[in-house]
Amino acid sequence: MTAEAQTLGRREQSWFGRLFAGYGQEIIILGAILLLFVVVWSINPRFISPNNLNTIFSGNAYIAVAAIGMSMVIITGNIDVSVGALIGVLATIAGTIAVSGYPVWVAWTAPILIGIAVNFLVGVLVAYARIPSIVVTLGMLSILRGGLISVTGGAWISNLPPEFLLAQQRPLGIPAPIYFMVGLTILAAFWMRYSAFGRSIYAVGGNPEAARAAGIPIERRIVQVFMIHGAFAGLATILFATQLQVIQSTVPPNLELTVITASVIGGVSILGGSGTVIGSTLAAILFAAIGSALIFVGISAYWLRAVIGLLILATVLADMARRRQAK
Amino acid sequence: MMKLAIATLTSLALTTSLVQAQQVYTGGDDLPTNPLACDGTPGTATPMDYDGGTPTNAPDRAGQTLTVVDVPKLVGIGYFAATTQGIMEAAAELNMNATTDGPTRANIDDQITLIDNYITSGVDGILFAANDPVAIAPVLRRALEAGINVVGYDANSEPDARQWFVNQAEFNGIGKAMIDQLAAEIGEDGAFAIVTSTFTTPNQARWISEMAAYQAECYPNMRWLETVEAQEDNILSFNQANTLINKYGDELDGIAGMTSVATPAAADAVTQAGQCGNIAVVGLATPNAMRPYIEADCVKSAVLWNPIDLGYAAAYVLRAAADGTLNPGDTSVEAGRLGELQVINGSEVLLGAPFVFTADNIADFDF
Repeated sequence: MTAEAQTLGRREQSWFGRLFAGYGQEIIILGAILLLFVVVWSINPRFISPNNLNTIFSGNAYIAVAAIGMSMVIITGNIDVSVGALIGVLATIAGTIAVSGYPVWVAWTAPILIGIAVNFLVGVLVAYARIPSIVVTLGMLSILRGGLISVTGGAWISNLPPEFLLAQQRPLGIPAPIYFMVGLTILAAFWMRYSAFGRSIYAVGGNPEAARAAGIPIERRIVQVFMIHGAFAGLATILFATQLQVIQSTVPPNLELTVITASVIGGVSILGGSGTVIGSTLAAILFAAIGSALIFVGISAYWLRAVIGLLILATVLADMARRRQAK
Repeated sequence: MMKLAIATLTSLALTTSLVQAQQVYTGGDDLPTNPLACDGTPGTATPMDYDGGTPTNAPDRAGQTLTVVDVPKLVGIGYFAATTQGIMEAAAELNMNATTDGPTRANIDDQITLIDNYITSGVDGILFAANDPVAIAPVLRRALEAGINVVGYDANSEPDARQWFVNQAEFNGIGKAMIDQLAAEIGEDGAFAIVTSTFTTPNQARWISEMAAYQAECYPNMRWLETVEAQEDNILSFNQANTLINKYGDELDGIAGMTSVATPAAADAVTQAGQCGNIAVVGLATPNAMRPYIEADCVKSAVLWNPIDLGYAAAYVLRAAADGTLNPGDTSVEAGRLGELQVINGSEVLLGAPFVFTADNIADFDF
């Protein structure tokens, strides 16, 4: 498409069209979620009972929150495969603080601050030492996972104070994780779309040379994005660690991959430079909805993996096709 | 393309749900099952030749004070503290000087070094829980060659590297205990669902098969609604249990968890759904994992084995082997307060029925 055609195309769009411009993938996922709801509802109306909607929307909230930071990292052209292990370590730290008698706000703040600190280190190694992020975070993955097992010896934390269990709160009958997921997603989406800092994240991943020419400090920006990602990992940890009355020293297997998958299916280009956190949150909700739907219609959970695999392939192919078209 | 994928999924969903409506997939494996008798009669052990080892030129130790070292997988955790407690209890009854000395991490190399040192220093007996069944075998064979009595518990070695192994639970025993516990809580015509790790995890699939066989035999009116997978993922287990509660509503009387991850998560789902007392949760889980739910009276029990009894039985088996009162070919062994224990699989001693942790006894355990 020529530049002229692009401007023409843009001019023809209504205000409505402009509002949704650049949200192709997000609209497809939203449509998929709605379609899924209608189909499963027609088979088993209990699927859309308020309780089950709460289960679906809150079930993957911590993954959606972690995927916000992950999306930013991927948009800069990097990746983090250690976030699952980081959440496990932060959960153990938060739980240990909570049972040691400190006020709960300390237990809630610590994972955010430590998440920022750990990812500051990762960001520096990536941006200034110029080690590829996959290598740095693979190393971090081993360190965190090994450290967690050595320190805890596999022991679980129970006897958590009831006021620590934030994710079990239900203001207005809606589980607290849903407020976190929706609020943080909207905040991050606005910030990334309208603030100068937010726009510069896309520039760093999309076209580093142009970004440098425009005066964006690329190295510093990458470190900052990793630190923001650490903060979101900390927030995700709070939801993860306060959902049950016991904190386990094991992390859900492949948690980092689930988070990355949410980002990628949500339309964040694995090559960097494009995508939104609205997409990644919708993708996390879609996974939870598919998982629930499979139980409601009585299909083996093996399909969940097959379907998600199919979605990844479809999304990446679509992304590559779009890029080819743009060229 | 995405729409195509979703459309394919949903049409598949429609067709397979019709096909599957008739039969419930329990998630068990296809291996033959061996359900125990409904009334609790011990299973019949298939006769099998002794396949354990024999100490070379062991002195006559009958009636002598025995020096015994216990080498668990690791020390410093509640589980092996409990086995040690049982060993000490038995040692006091059996004229044995027992010490526990294990690696601080579950590391096979450290464990081999330790056992090697004790062979050199000269002991009468070694009790072990192996970190690796194959890697530990050579050092145990050296112990047998040095005339030391060797008995394993909790985690086996290759059979010929030790004399006896105390087996904490057989699949059919666990299957029976789980279904009996469910029946006691939801009634003999109750409906239940299972949360397991994955359909392909060998132990879980085996337990589920034995549960299905025992339930069909002994509680034919119980209804097995569904088995769902939740990996070893606590939040996913919680979500899956919630989805089962949402799907079946009043129809669901009980949830059985097949792992120490799934069972507490299911208990949390029932608690947070306000269904304590309406939906029972039973499952395989350690007492520490279930303590909050049992103390809150939302869950009545957790099924596993008793590690104190396991250590106690191991010490009795070692004493019997040293005294010559337990010999290859025997079908049972006397084990103090536990009574007669059955010999199975050639050279294993079965601890007995699994142990049910309840509000009355859970305070005695820390693992």
